[in-house]
Amino acid sequence: MNDIPSSLSIIDESNHGRVKKVRDMKSLGYKIIGYQCALIPVEIMSAFDVVPYKICSDIKEPITEADRLLATASCPVMRSCLDCALKGRDDFLDGLVTTHSSDPGEKAARTLGAYTNYPYFHFIDMPGTVRPEAITYFKTQISDFAKTMASFTGKRLSTEKLNIAIELHNRQRSLVQELYALTRPVPPLISGTEIVKIVRTLMTLPVQEGNNLLVQVIDEVKKRGKGPAQKRARLLIWSSTLDDPGIMQMFEEQSNVVYDETCGGIRPFRSSVKVTADPLDGLAAYYLKEITCARTFRQASLGEIEKNYSEDLRSRFGYLKQVVEKWKIDGVILLLVRYCDPFAFEIPSIKDYFSNLSVRSTYIEYDYSERALAPLRTRIEAFIDTIS
Amino acid sequence: MYFAGVDIGSTMTKVVIISDKGDPISIVKGPTGPEHRSLASEVMNVGLTQANLQLNEINYIVATGYGRFNVPFSDRQITELSCHAAGVHNLFPDAKTVIDIGGQDAKCMKIENGKLGDFVMNDKCAAGTGRFLEVIASALGIKVEDLGAISSKSTRDIQISNICTIFAQQEVVSRLSEGESLENILAGLHTALASRVVALAERLSIEPSVVLTGGVAKNTGIVRAMKEKIGHDIRVPEEPLITGALGAALMARRHVLDAIKNNTPVVTSQRRLDKTTLLYGEH
Repeated sequence: MNDIPSSLSIIDESNHGRVKKVRDMKSLGYKIIGYQCALIPVEIMSAFDVVPYKICSDIKEPITEADRLLATASCPVMRSCLDCALKGRDDFLDGLVTTHSSDPGEKAARTLGAYTNYPYFHFIDMPGTVRPEAITYFKTQISDFAKTMASFTGKRLSTEKLNIAIELHNRQRSLVQELYALTRPVPPLISGTEIVKIVRTLMTLPVQEGNNLLVQVIDEVKKRGKGPAQKRARLLIWSSTLDDPGIMQMFEEQSNVVYDETCGGIRPFRSSVKVTADPLDGLAAYYLKEITCARTFRQASLGEIEKNYSEDLRSRFGYLKQVVEKWKIDGVILLLVRYCDPFAFEIPSIKDYFSNLSVRSTYIEYDYSERALAPLRTRIEAFIDTIS
Repeated sequence: MYFAGVDIGSTMTKVVIISDKGDPISIVKGPTGPEHRSLASEVMNVGLTQANLQLNEINYIVATGYGRFNVPFSDRQITELSCHAAGVHNLFPDAKTVIDIGGQDAKCMKIENGKLGDFVMNDKCAAGTGRFLEVIASALGIKVEDLGAISSKSTRDIQISNICTIFAQQEVVSRLSEGESLENILAGLHTALASRVVALAERLSIEPSVVLTGGVAKNTGIVRAMKEKIGHDIRVPEEPLITGALGAALMARRHVLDAIKNNTPVVTSQRRLDKTTLLYGEH
């Protein structure tokens, strides 16, 4: 690709030296709090002028230390994050905030808390359903999170300050949505690999700095002469997480990934926090209901008695219908990170949903590691053969 | 015109050269071995000698199999899934389901309109692959090619409950020490492997006619067990190892014929018939 805009060069640099970037910020006086999951209300951290730093796994680093503490038959992303932390990769962190994203997620979080020495550690107990009682309970958990942050930073959280943080993060969400609109043309104006790098960078920077960079990226991508070439198919990837540019690049050897419904892609940005009198109400509802993670149980209607499978599918995956139409999706890859049970249980249902939309999908299970890439490549190419 | 398909599998490397009519004029198989990437050239040389051809007389070469990116004389790489589907469709035009059991993986493919329609693969675990049988045969001190004939003499059904290759091996030893006959144990092993592969294939729904390919298809005990599990007939090509290479050669032929029809150039690579090992992306 020629004519790379300078903002994308910044993104490239930030990805290449992500840890260095955040260490540099720390030397400027920022406090950096790590988080592992898209379900963490990052607005709370931003409201305390703390930088939320998304901890990513490292597919190139063989997992060795973590296997002393976690079962090998558990989420490789969580194991890798723990492994890297135990090896000191994240020793710049001032703290860590975790949640019950899944059972292995919770165990990895507890282990991280026990085996690292960050000055701050907080665990958010997140309910597993979207019932009103669950949202009410989750609000108390976010409130507790805010209290420990206040204690750690020595600052008081005002409603005004929290509303400003929510507004900034909502602005980031709408900018990311704008970024994804750039993949709608045929061929797309920006590649899926570039988007993964951008999202990784956003999850490294203070929110305002990220927003400024996004504005620049969007402007430059719109103006640049040449974007990605049109490949054999336009893909939607549905997965728990896909935050490694190398893996995304493999998908894009023969296809254009125009939408990635993953925690390293659009999932944390697909909608916005609603403005509520008490901002904690808006945050609780957003993180529990709007983040479409398979770990949260959803029903077509609360307390239903009669089964209505198609209505149930629509309530769980209905938001993907317009994605298929607007992004002109040729095929869907249901990409399962091995041992990710919440997403594994969703596979038959979401496959049915896409089948009802007459969209081809395939289910690929893989280890989130470099050694798994050759079999992954074969499956990707074979699927593209079936749809192109 | 001549076309070639090269299939680098985990255990065997296969080359098929076909004429412009699509008829095979050379079929060669050789062990992949530890130097598998560099040995593709040797197998190709044997194929060329057999066909009395030079490399530059082959109009287009497609490489397939998990070592497909390390064939320094190929013009294009296509997955083994698409090539198996094409090869089986050529041999059995009414085939709808292909089950291929190779050395390190098992896969099921659906054929739609003569090409790959859908697929499912298992390659993470040795259970349900040729390696499972190799390990057991080795532990029992018998040749893997004799497994089918021995198991045909079984007198009763026994269950091998472990699907893990290592634990199954332990279970076999335990059964032998209990006095169970070798014939019955082998028949039980074939049933265990067939159950695992059929369960994989049923994720796609098994539609007749069904074709079984790969080295394991040569084992009559497995074919018998698969038929029982699926509940209807299974066909096996005369040479079940070469469907991937045949499909690759047929796809090479189709590529060139389409280019001629559309008046577009056929671009071939800088072919090297030496023992060079390439890394992905060096083509």
